[in-house]
Amino acid sequence: MTVLAEICAAIDCIAAAWVDTRIGVVVEQRTSREHALIGPALDAMTELMRSRERPPRMVLLSAQHVHIAHRQARDPHRVLVVLCDRSANLGFAVATVRSIFEAAEQAA
Amino acid sequence: MQPVPIEALHVLERVPSGGCGALVRKHADGAMAGALLVERGRVCWALSARYPWRLTDILVAEQATLSRAQLDEVFALCRRDQLPLGETLVERGLVSLPVLHRALLRHTCEALDCLLRDDASPWSWIEHSGHGYHPLLTFSPAEVLAGVHAIACPTRAARALARLHQVVRPEQAGFTIDRTRGTRLPIAQLHCEAIDVVALADLATQADEVMAVAATVQVEVALAQLGAFACASWLEDTMLFVLLCDGELAFNRLLAQMATMTPNL
Repeated sequence: MTVLAEICAAIDCIAAAWVDTRIGVVVEQRTSREHALIGPALDAMTELMRSRERPPRMVLLSAQHVHIAHRQARDPHRVLVVLCDRSANLGFAVATVRSIFEAAEQAA
Repeated sequence: MQPVPIEALHVLERVPSGGCGALVRKHADGAMAGALLVERGRVCWALSARYPWRLTDILVAEQATLSRAQLDEVFALCRRDQLPLGETLVERGLVSLPVLHRALLRHTCEALDCLLRDDASPWSWIEHSGHGYHPLLTFSPAEVLAGVHAIACPTRAARALARLHQVVRPEQAGFTIDRTRGTRLPIAQLHCEAIDVVALADLATQADEVMAVAATVQVEVALAQLGAFACASWLEDTMLFVLLCDGELAFNRLLAQMATMTPNL
């Protein structure tokens, strides 16, 4: 099972993607349901994670949504981005994405 | 000349960590324009030939119960017996430590502001080995930077500081940027004493850039791991608040705090 599939199976997310921040493109994407925010959210997170000085990890909260990003250690341009609805399970969603990402990092 | 807060940052970043001495400027005729005195890497006093107020003026303004006659008496005693004025005032119960701290910080920041605006020579560092100031009555470069910046917008800075007192927990640090001002440097800070002033300026710039992009997708709060710190930033009107937390599970603790706070922002 891929990291994106595992995330989509574990939490109620709208979309999960690997983006290459160097060239600003989505390398791989899984979408659980169509949403107008997916494109702008991926663009914004790609922009935020573009520089090497940018953080290895970021969570953005809006009134309705949660944006999660993790940067790969071995390839700092490759970033996992997850968009999900904001709910009472915010902490669970963030922790689950982190643990799946970290497990994949260790396995790589 | 650059904006005064940026000039202040350039001066404060020259304060050697743990160093004792003075950063000095002179006028063209060789007379001293003023100086920033430093002990153990902390600012303890600033003086400027152009700054008209004395510490005693500020103390009388800050504490209504203190008379000019009382101050003059203690001032004369301190001069005669070579006693530190601030500590003597506190020992005699004439001013409280917080009032003295506030008055000293105000004097230091306002005098530095005058010195920065003065037409004088570049700063030169003169080292000395003396230790005379009580550590509680000296200031971190971060405190002075925010204090100098706040001179131009005292009401907004006071409001920002009051908000920081509401949201910053004892183990955290926080600062505020006023986005209506030209520079992305703090106008208020709380518990940022241990943070290097250049690192603080970098954090402020990064937080502002993050929020500028995040706002395009209606994001209210951005949390990021920035070096040793977990960092949360959010906007209230034109004020950008930044909360810093380090240690075990810092990111998770900050996330939980921000998730609770967000409806109240």
